[in-house]
Amino acid sequence: MTARSQDIKAQDLEAASALPAPATARLRWPRLKGFEWFAFGFVALLIAAAVLVDVIPGLARPNFPYGDFSQPPEWSLNGLLGTDPLGRSILSRVLHGARTTLGIVAVATAIALAIGMTAGMLAGFYRGPVERAVDLYANTMASLPPILVILALIAVVGNSVLTMMLALGILDIGVYARIAKGGVIAQNDRDYVLAARAMGASDARILAREILPNLVPALTAIVPPLVAGLIITEGSLSFLGYGIPPPAPSWGGMIASSTDLLSRFPLLVVGPILAIVLTVYSLNTIGDSLARRLNDRNRNL
Amino acid sequence: MASDHPYLKAAARRLAAGVPVFLVVTFAATALSSLAPGSAAQLILGENATPEQIASLNAQYGYNLPVIERYLLWLGKLVRGDLGLTLYSQQPVAGLLFDRAAVTFEIAFLAMGLSLLVGVPLAMVTASRPGGAIDKALLAVTSVMLSIPTFVTVVVLGFLFAIVLRWLPATGWVRFAEDPLGNLKSAALPVLCLSVHQAASFYRVSRAEFVSVLQEDYVLVARAKGLPTHTIMLRHAFRAAMPQVLTVMGLSMTYLLGGSFIVESYFAVPGIGWTVLSAVNSHDFPVMQAILSLTVVIFVVVFMLVDLGYALIDPRVEVA
Repeated sequence: MTARSQDIKAQDLEAASALPAPATARLRWPRLKGFEWFAFGFVALLIAAAVLVDVIPGLARPNFPYGDFSQPPEWSLNGLLGTDPLGRSILSRVLHGARTTLGIVAVATAIALAIGMTAGMLAGFYRGPVERAVDLYANTMASLPPILVILALIAVVGNSVLTMMLALGILDIGVYARIAKGGVIAQNDRDYVLAARAMGASDARILAREILPNLVPALTAIVPPLVAGLIITEGSLSFLGYGIPPPAPSWGGMIASSTDLLSRFPLLVVGPILAIVLTVYSLNTIGDSLARRLNDRNRNL
Repeated sequence: MASDHPYLKAAARRLAAGVPVFLVVTFAATALSSLAPGSAAQLILGENATPEQIASLNAQYGYNLPVIERYLLWLGKLVRGDLGLTLYSQQPVAGLLFDRAAVTFEIAFLAMGLSLLVGVPLAMVTASRPGGAIDKALLAVTSVMLSIPTFVTVVVLGFLFAIVLRWLPATGWVRFAEDPLGNLKSAALPVLCLSVHQAASFYRVSRAEFVSVLQEDYVLVARAKGLPTHTIMLRHAFRAAMPQVLTVMGLSMTYLLGGSFIVESYFAVPGIGWTVLSAVNSHDFPVMQAILSLTVVIFVVVFMLVDLGYALIDPRVEVA
């Protein structure tokens, strides 16, 4: 057996697996791989924890000492990830940090989606100056590192939860607008749009009732990775000391405040690092999974 | 005539498209100080500033002028290569920026080079056997690498190389002119940290390209002629995958600039990111404005170079 014949066999396998799935497979509940189960499960658990963090029985308060300082993890609810240099429960702070981060990022994403989709759909539908304005905005935002944009804003108005929500929202408007625009342009000359127009539907109705539902799958697939990007940006700013003001717990801030003690207590950073890496990994995986499903669907249509 | 060359035209179009973006960013940067609660001069000088101090600051920097007027003044000076003076040390901003940008660029280019050297050859190895054990393992590893934020990488790698192994200095920067070897040593940790994400993304992109190129008919012909896999890889696949890799190289400039904020602040490296952070603390608007403008110029120029690069790599590229 030479290496070359193995190559060809591997390619044949790949080509065979790229064939459209049989019709019945599409109707079944989507089959998830192990790591996809993990990703969906982790995000569901994190959201549940963020919502319910105040009513979890026995969980220590995030800003008050619970035990000795800088303790390694132990087998109890509050000590599961150890304690921080002030003796506070790291698990409690990680979960409260999840609430803050997810809350901010959710509002920012809602802002970006609402403005971005509206602007993008109008740009795709009417073209002309609206389209040029949307393109200019998207190009401008794409040319600047996100951290720089937010730092510039913070230099002037100071950092607060509201600034962070708005600033993170501003970042993604252009990306959503571009996707919505592309989607509208692709749908615009389909027969169903023509039919709606022939029946006398208004522009607003065509956009909202006919075209919008067809944009939802593509937009859904792009949301998780963009949310992951915002979580990283928020974490970076907190790490640099420009995030949500302390003592509110944030993952980036928890990592930053432990770095001085790292040589003696390296376990301090494990909790927040696991939290952010697993969250970003899960969101990226969900995004990939949705995008692949979308591609399969389009190929089978 | 040289100017009729399609690739030069494409590059010129890139530049022309960059002009409005440049104007928007620089104007927004000028207008930024008008967002300050109270007045910009008040924000800079603090609450205890006397009216005389405010007046003299306004006289020098024009914060009391309308935004448009301030912007035109700034543009006028920019044409003459004058970016103004920094607020506190009263140094020329242009000179300061030049020094700091040199540091950030050194780190960025080294990181890009290292990531390419690791990512692309690995992709060649695994792409010739897609679905194999190494391929699967590397896909899993790189998807985790892509999920690690830079501020986690600096903490982990800093801990490993500076505290546990003591191989590399944890902080500080040695200029190349003073001590070339020391310069490389002080750049090592920042470069490594920025490369984790970049190597993974170069690996991903080139692997996908290689796998699809290897299914082309001309590769089948090359195989039928009996060419060994490594020749096919280097001669055919590598060249075909290059445009995609080049695009990612362009996009990675924004990532590397963004990453420089974290890396430079954590390892105390006096580059662009470090300068922005100190400008934010001191409300040094002239510096902020200059760096925002520089960033846009870098972005536009990089993508122009990417366009030119496509043409150099692949003569078939049609410039629409």
